[in-house]
Amino acid sequence: MGASKGQKLSGLQKQVLSLYRGFLRAARSKPCEDRCQIESIVSAEFRRNSKQVDRKNFFYIEYLLRRGKKQLDQLKSPDTMGLSSLNVSSSQKQNAKT
Amino acid sequence: MALRAAVLRHIRVPVRTLAATGSKPQLQWSLCNSIRLFSSDDDHLTKEEVIDRVLDVVKSFPKVDPSKVTPHVHFQNDLGLDSLDNVEIVMALEEEFKLEIPDKEADKIDSCNLAIAYIYNHPMAG
Amino acid sequence: MATTLIRRAMSMTSRVSSSTVAPALRLVVTRPYASEAEAEKGDAATTNMKTFQIYRWNPDNPSKPQLQDYKIDLKECGPMVLDALIKIKNEIDPSLTFRRSCREGICGSCAMNINGCNGLACLTKIESGSSETTITPLPHMFVIKDLVVDMTNFYNQYKSIEPWLKRKNPPPTAGKEIPQSKKDRAKLDGMYECILCACCSTSCPSYWWNPESYLGPAALLHANRWISDSRDEYTKERLEAINDEFKLYRCHTILNCARACPKGLNPGKQITHIKQLQLLGSA
Repeated sequence: MGASKGQKLSGLQKQVLSLYRGFLRAARSKPCEDRCQIESIVSAEFRRNSKQVDRKNFFYIEYLLRRGKKQLDQLKSPDTMGLSSLNVSSSQKQNAKT
Repeated sequence: MALRAAVLRHIRVPVRTLAATGSKPQLQWSLCNSIRLFSSDDDHLTKEEVIDRVLDVVKSFPKVDPSKVTPHVHFQNDLGLDSLDNVEIVMALEEEFKLEIPDKEADKIDSCNLAIAYIYNHPMAG
Repeated sequence: MATTLIRRAMSMTSRVSSSTVAPALRLVVTRPYASEAEAEKGDAATTNMKTFQIYRWNPDNPSKPQLQDYKIDLKECGPMVLDALIKIKNEIDPSLTFRRSCREGICGSCAMNINGCNGLACLTKIESGSSETTITPLPHMFVIKDLVVDMTNFYNQYKSIEPWLKRKNPPPTAGKEIPQSKKDRAKLDGMYECILCACCSTSCPSYWWNPESYLGPAALLHANRWISDSRDEYTKERLEAINDEFKLYRCHTILNCARACPKGLNPGKQITHIKQLQLLGSA
């Protein structure tokens, strides 16, 4: 999707930024230590995707948005303590998991 | 300075509520005041205060060179930030001024100028 | 709508997978049919090859969705489409992803689109003949991987009709069940059998256009199931809750739902029943 440089945002970019904002908001409701960890994982995940994902691959970006929204819903629950990420070595992919 | 401001606010509140009880439509306002007793919505932040605090927040952002930060700086064009950094800065400003900026507004804030204007004109900024 | 169009824009690849698998392996994986297969081995060249074109998309490898060809020998496969899918997964391509559980049409997990019709893979016979069988995910649903679709919206709609018994009065005998006459119980026939496989809703054009606002045949069938339950005391409230231009009245009696239902139910008929009650209520 590519983190944009000061141009007008597309609808999809707005959705991505809104999701990012949602994650940072949800992180605020967690204890300080968890919050920092959530922020660093979420930030790394978004930045990694902003560099790796082809910005024309809408199909995949929409998939990531839906997955992100689901994870955000889970994170918002007071029972969720925090986030952790796991490295899948075979595909070299990092997945943020709640 | 901060202490004085806090005391001032505290003292001013009863006067306001008294004045408000006179007319019905303002009742809600007085309620609002009593809930947010210690935030300064009863009296607006001065423009200077807003500018100072906005610049402080921007300067303390890890990726920003503090020497480049002026009230007229554009986050992405002048400070070399991307849209994700932009979101982080606006979120930091939200926390500093105890606001919740809706997505639609937050997407527009891309420079110190716009941030200062938005916060200065926001009735709840504290 | 653009998204769905992109989603279904698949390109074809014919990566024909060889079905020549080591005999030892064959015996292990085709359990119930192993003896049959053994017996057939005597007759030379009695293979019955069939091609399955299966929708493939993997989020970890973000390229366009594709139809992938798999050739299997029907002589060494069970009769149902699910048998073929399991055989392909076991013997040819372990990365093929689909939901399945009971393999007898009671769990509703393996709902998918087979040769253009929604159905349960476990209840759909493999078409004999040499033509290909095309298997894609349920139409107009967001794909998670291969044949697995996102059911969140569908389940939320089911939840929204409050599918449980709601009472205002305590049961006639405290602490005991609420009795129901045989006649009243019979009113639930044609509804209680629904297994929420989503074949009906995802075959409904109205549901395709308004998947969020229109409840769809499955959820409405269940709404009617509770509206018709003699023990439920919230009939009026239930009717009011769905008396909505979108939630209920997007049903235009296209009746694809009845055609698709693998359990032979008729959701369209149940929706009509709700509409009739709404008319009686407002008269």
